Amino acid sequence: MAPYTNIPLSPAELSYLHTSLAQDPPIRPDGRSPTQFRPLVAETDILPSANGSARICFADGTEAVVGVKAEVERTGRKGGLVRGKEDGEVEGEERGEDGWLDVSIEIPGTRDDDALPVFLAAMLTEALLADGELKGRLVIGRVWHWRLFVDILLLSQPLSYPLPLLSLTTHLALLSTRLPALISQKDEDPLFNDDWEASTHLFPRQPTTNEPETKPPITLLVMTVGTNILFDPSSDEIAVADAIVAISATEDSKDGGLKMVALRTVDPPSRLTSAGVPTQANTTAGGGLSAEETLKLREKDAGATVWRPPRGGVSRTVLGRMIKKVVEKGGVGEEVLEGLRGVKS
Amino acid sequence: MPLDSSTYALAHLRVDGRRWKELRRIHGQMSTQAAADGSSYFEMGNTKIICTVLGPRQPTKSGGRDQSREAIIEVEIGVAGFSGMDRKKRSRNDKRTQEMQYTISSAFASTVFTSQYPHSTITIVLHVLSQDGALLAACINAATLALIDAGVPMQDYIAACTTGSTASYASNDEDADPLLDLNGMEELELPFLTMGTSGGEDKVNVLVMETRIQMPRLEAMVSVGLDGCKQVRNILDGIVREHGKKLLSSR
Amino acid sequence: MAMLADRRRMNAPPGGTSPPVFASLPEAKLTKPIRTRNPDEHRKIFLRTGVVPSASGSAYYEISPSNTPRQTLVPSSSSLKITCTVHGPRPLPRNAAFSSNLLLTTHVKFAPFATRQRRGYVRDSSERDLGVHLETALRGVVIGDRWPKSGCEVVITVLEGEEDGWWADAEEGGKAGSWGMMNVLAGCITVASAAIADAGVDCVDLVSGGVAALTAERNGEGVLDPCPSEHDIKAACVVGYLQSRDEVTEMWMKGDAGSGSEALIDNAVKAAVLTRTVLAEAVKEATEMKIGKTSEAAVETTNTGKGKTKDIQMTG
Repeated sequence: MAPYTNIPLSPAELSYLHTSLAQDPPIRPDGRSPTQFRPLVAETDILPSANGSARICFADGTEAVVGVKAEVERTGRKGGLVRGKEDGEVEGEERGEDGWLDVSIEIPGTRDDDALPVFLAAMLTEALLADGELKGRLVIGRVWHWRLFVDILLLSQPLSYPLPLLSLTTHLALLSTRLPALISQKDEDPLFNDDWEASTHLFPRQPTTNEPETKPPITLLVMTVGTNILFDPSSDEIAVADAIVAISATEDSKDGGLKMVALRTVDPPSRLTSAGVPTQANTTAGGGLSAEETLKLREKDAGATVWRPPRGGVSRTVLGRMIKKVVEKGGVGEEVLEGLRGVKS
Repeated sequence: MPLDSSTYALAHLRVDGRRWKELRRIHGQMSTQAAADGSSYFEMGNTKIICTVLGPRQPTKSGGRDQSREAIIEVEIGVAGFSGMDRKKRSRNDKRTQEMQYTISSAFASTVFTSQYPHSTITIVLHVLSQDGALLAACINAATLALIDAGVPMQDYIAACTTGSTASYASNDEDADPLLDLNGMEELELPFLTMGTSGGEDKVNVLVMETRIQMPRLEAMVSVGLDGCKQVRNILDGIVREHGKKLLSSR
Repeated sequence: MAMLADRRRMNAPPGGTSPPVFASLPEAKLTKPIRTRNPDEHRKIFLRTGVVPSASGSAYYEISPSNTPRQTLVPSSSSLKITCTVHGPRPLPRNAAFSSNLLLTTHVKFAPFATRQRRGYVRDSSERDLGVHLETALRGVVIGDRWPKSGCEVVITVLEGEEDGWWADAEEGGKAGSWGMMNVLAGCITVASAAIADAGVDCVDLVSGGVAALTAERNGEGVLDPCPSEHDIKAACVVGYLQSRDEVTEMWMKGDAGSGSEALIDNAVKAAVLTRTVLAEAVKEATEMKIGKTSEAAVETTNTGKGKTKDIQMTG
């Protein structure tokens, strides 16, 4: 079942919104430009008992809190028969495992196995594990590793897809996560420094500029209406979207730009809206057509005079343009990362 | 034991340097979330609670039995996995949580003027971000602030705090002192109770005790608790007036 | 054991059974299978509709197993087998809220024996996630506003799944990025499309699933229909593609594609076009059979209508 069947907009309102967003340039209900984001309030390190934490409030009132906790766990034996190298030679080559990152999302009003939390958790986990670097940093030795628990709490009812909100909050929380400093040697049972000031960041900082060397990815929600591409859609705009795509991007260490690490199409709730009734088919106005004739009329109209839920998918060229807009130099992705850089704890 | 490691025997100071009658640092804010009808953020030491109130509104479960003459108060408590020292994901249906929900719901049902809103529901959602003792008390205080922010009419604030006794520590029970506002470590070791009062006449709305104590000690604990609740009530009142002043001056 | 606690099912004997473990010969060297097809060639697909007579529509999808001679009894790579049944469109229950569009529900489940690690009976999060992907793919294709107050249920059972890497490779165990799921999704999209066509639900086009990958071995040259045990996959992409409209209803891309993401999407679309030929063939065959049958049945009824009906004699 699609997450939102309760869109309180009539076919006339939907048609109005769709037409205004399909203009060139698009006219958004709150007057923003296509790549303009709504203002948000963000703070990090708000929880003393968590390794890392962050809280973001969007302008429409949705609020999310993310807490990151790390626990030491014993590394299980990997399966398989063929061992390419002898055990003693695998120094410095330990790779992390996907199972060491545990992302859980709590949304009020939904159970843990509803579609929305499942899809959000899967998307966020995928993006975080995509380049394999995070996994690598969780290794302590050959026998022990860190298990990272990322608990995401959405504090308000989900008004629209909360994906960008949760992704940005997770990004900030992971950036602020610190792990205690390791004192013990290579293969001993791990012993850590009690002094929290000596702890190391999970995403280590450069010594000179105090900027993180690498950053966790961010996920943005991009929607398209006709040939227009819009960022940070509000719930009204999502209700009339032709297609919605979630794109995760992270900084490319090689050339300093952004690269895409995961992409997912999201089912737009506009497909579940009810279609409007063309005037000729309106029985109250004295129409009196049979079901077959009504159907033919609606098909011929094809959404020209009244609203009709979109059919089909998104064209490849539009998809390509969406990806480019996120990752290009000076594009939206870089803007968002730049904005997050200024967040102090 | 927390009292052993502190200088309590010598100077009557607890682990965090407080005396027996001192509350922890209390901090509260109202209207923290624009999307809810009423919201608040409340800290009692390291215990941090976010509360949102939705309502009075139409009941979500339309069961057909809509003959209620009063508003129904629903409480939901979600304890975050990162709230304690160890990461533990608490399910929403375990008995302890349900008991706390019921306690808060019945406490407010007696204070809120529910007869003014028949056929409606007031939903209080509490998120525990960090716990370090006084969980139920902080939840009640946060809910009070959020209900006031939502404009729900009530007879008075419900102010809550915890009190304990050094009875298990002291060798001679006559020396046992009542303590106000225990933190997490102390709650694990010492007997304590949670008390919520409303109104200047010291009407006790909530009294929950899950540990054992000898009867003579109870009176001292309760009287210290009443005094502590009065202090908390003054703090809550201060927060509400501060918020009101800000609202009026911004017009 | 925890499994014994499941009282709702008929459990195995309490002592349990242990599968045979084959000792490997000291001389035998297990070699990782390598791809023998061209990079733009798909494995052979078997697709047939109408396999479950009691459902409104159904289809069975299978990728034929590889023909390379095996050194051990354990097959070197798995071959995907998926079955799909469609129930509907049928009316919603009375207490359900009014919906002016067809309510599509998808249910994807791996059989417990489908993968090398046994999966439980209860759906876990990866299966639910597959269900969400599939629903996104199908919803764009189904014309929902012709079926108000109705629901359609698509149930997919994966009898044998695609694995994430070569089973015998210990080091790869940590690197796997659930690439097998992407192949399963592509198969699910194709088989669901066939089953929906078999059920007669209104659609804009046939949606077919295709998967392509960028591997470490070929330095940026993409491969279609990657078998995860044959490749070291860096990035992969699954699409649900509508050929007549040149539109994509569902796309799932994972991994570090870098600047090759556009090429990866194009490759996935090429793979989808290849599967579409198989899909169209299967649907055409099934339709021809159905038309042939109905015309036969029509001829028969006219005969017996005019014909001599025999009176039934009751012997007492």
